[in-house]
Amino acid sequence: MPRVAPRSSRRSPADRVVITGLGVFSSIGIGREEFVEGLRQGRSGVKPIRSFDTTGYAYANGCEITDFEPARWIKRVPLAELGRASQFSAAAARMAMEDSGLSEEDLRADRGHISIGTTDGESTDFDQITAMEVASGRESMDPVLARRLSANRLSAAVARELDLTDVEMETLATACSAGNYSIGNGYDVIRTGEAKFALCGGADAFCRKTFTAFYRLGTIAPEYCQPFDKNRKGILTGEGAGVVMLESLESAMARGARIYSEVLGYGLNCDGHHPVAPNQAGVARCIEIALADAGVEPEDVDLISAHGTGTKANDVTETRAIRDIYAGRLPRTISLKSMLGHTMGAASSLAAIACSLAITEGFIPPTINHVETDPECQVDCVPNHSVPADLRIVQNNGLAFGGNNAVVVLGKYEED
Amino acid sequence: MMSAPDNIVITAWSAVSPFGIGQKSFTDGVAIGRPAVSVLDRARWDGPDERACLVPGFEVREVLGKGTRAMNRVAGLAVTTVGRLIESVDPGRTWAEDTAIVLGTSTGSSQSTMDIIRASLTGERPYDVEPSLVPYAVMNCAAGQCAIWYGLKGPNATLAAGRPTGLTALSYARRLLLTGRAKRVLCGAAEEYSADRAWIDFHARGGGDAILGEGCAVFAVELASAATTEPVATVLAVDSRSCVDGDWQAMTARCVQRALAAGGSDPAEVRAVCPSGSADTPGQAERAALAGIFGPGVPVWDVAELIGETHAVCSAFQIARALSAVEHGREMAGRLVMITSTDTSGAVGAALLRLGESR
Repeated sequence: MPRVAPRSSRRSPADRVVITGLGVFSSIGIGREEFVEGLRQGRSGVKPIRSFDTTGYAYANGCEITDFEPARWIKRVPLAELGRASQFSAAAARMAMEDSGLSEEDLRADRGHISIGTTDGESTDFDQITAMEVASGRESMDPVLARRLSANRLSAAVARELDLTDVEMETLATACSAGNYSIGNGYDVIRTGEAKFALCGGADAFCRKTFTAFYRLGTIAPEYCQPFDKNRKGILTGEGAGVVMLESLESAMARGARIYSEVLGYGLNCDGHHPVAPNQAGVARCIEIALADAGVEPEDVDLISAHGTGTKANDVTETRAIRDIYAGRLPRTISLKSMLGHTMGAASSLAAIACSLAITEGFIPPTINHVETDPECQVDCVPNHSVPADLRIVQNNGLAFGGNNAVVVLGKYEED
Repeated sequence: MMSAPDNIVITAWSAVSPFGIGQKSFTDGVAIGRPAVSVLDRARWDGPDERACLVPGFEVREVLGKGTRAMNRVAGLAVTTVGRLIESVDPGRTWAEDTAIVLGTSTGSSQSTMDIIRASLTGERPYDVEPSLVPYAVMNCAAGQCAIWYGLKGPNATLAAGRPTGLTALSYARRLLLTGRAKRVLCGAAEEYSADRAWIDFHARGGGDAILGEGCAVFAVELASAATTEPVATVLAVDSRSCVDGDWQAMTARCVQRALAAGGSDPAEVRAVCPSGSADTPGQAERAALAGIFGPGVPVWDVAELIGETHAVCSAFQIARALSAVEHGREMAGRLVMITSTDTSGAVGAALLRLGESR
């Protein structure tokens, strides 16, 4: 089949944006190599929750990271000054920088940008400071925790840890699509020439608040997350961070950097419809905006990494929206949340990293825990086992409370 | 001096502030120059402070009417402000997919977040939390509510950058406009007063007195080259950086100098400076940097002394303070104002505005 090259191939290298470094903390693996193996094997990050007392909940599984050693990664900022989400952010940014082959000195030589997406910011600290208040009164809140709570600390932690001054930094608090918001923002920052590099991604820490909120809404699965399955029962909350190094193709070529994928474009929109329920028309429109921005047609897309939370409502609405754009020719559509749980603000950035690795390593990660596809979803979700594939263009969906949709389109970088 | 083609302009704005609801309350309050501080009703606000700068009489249901029972204060402030802005310039509600929202925050609502956690910790069952509160305990709720209320289906972003958030939001808005992702951006920030925020701030600052403020300020921002109405101000430059060595004065000066250079201006052209007004170490260093660059005689517009420490919305209120000068008379028309901000997290920012003509 003749393939149309994405519009970006007609742009100059200075106007193209590539991913050259990956920082990954996930419940199925820390670092690029472990993460690839986890994705290839269809590893599950599900375990009984240990980070807070789950007495009284009928079930309490989640996707926590049990082997995070912040001191291995965070060398400059005193750990006590960072909450868990800031630690994830700083550690993943350092890992992405090291993976890109750039040094702190290299980064200091240029204008840079840091954006970290999050749903809940320092949620673990909020849990703890509230517990202190409940136990011994408001006078007893720990000042160290109080100083860590502002969401902007996540992005500021990256600058402090890498000792960067000439960086604009923001924490994008657009809930569960924040990772895609952040990568899209980095793409624009590079293309407008505002910065030479951008460290972008998302982070969230496991917390009582989020688990409880979803539990109360009846959307926590008792055991496993089963996206697109007829008997799916909901999400499992998770945690982690994914941060990527973005730079222009020109910059990457000049230094001979390894290129994981090219950001071809992205789309943002808002359902403006309901505080929590996704809206089919809004999601479809966002996909349309993203594909147009990337200059690709639906038939060019080889894989969709869905938001795919595993709730009844999301998976039906999202697959219908995809079908609105793709008509009868749906590419394979997977959900990484089957393995990672819902890592909130990190979700779409971890998914973007997984898509980039799928492109470079030549395989499609599976949707695990899959028994029987829901006839209302009707997707080939690559059940349970990864498959080899030559992927050229991948669409990564991020949906969120507030109707904050963000879709990123990634492509394989092929030299002319 | 002409605007660069990629400059952005502010074409309309509104604010809900301790001076009251709407732009006129704000400009009048600034003109009178009396601090909008009041003694807190301890039955309503169980915080550590005696006094605060609250939006007078602001109760969500009274201001916005039915269907807002669960809506928290920060969303109420944002929905009210955006509504006022839209009423003033788009009463026919023609804005939809071409209009973005970019709203700054610190933690969304500490109150809503902690209410859920408290309910979980103290309820008979750990999941006895109020489901209608759940979306309000997520930081993007205020921006999402604005989209729902006014049918704004363009990009909808919530961002946090400490006190300079209002400046970073302008920078993000400019990027959306330059890349054609929106035709106009409603850009600003919101912060609510709550007992929980007050206690967190009390402990974070190590105790002692403080006067916290609250509110929301939102600006309609367009590309200068595509603006449909006469601007109230042109944003000549926004520059933000990170202070990692504690030398806030040097980093503030660097941002100011870079903003001047990007705006093609020199210090002598700047007729007023508008600092964060924070009493902390970065805030004091910020003032020293401004005095060093612009001299001791430059007028200093300190909005914090009028409306308190407003955290996430602080720099948006500084922008509003600058814009209100246009409404006070013709003498500031066409003049330059430098706005600066610092935050203990390390964020530092400066924005150079050229004020427009009074309307």
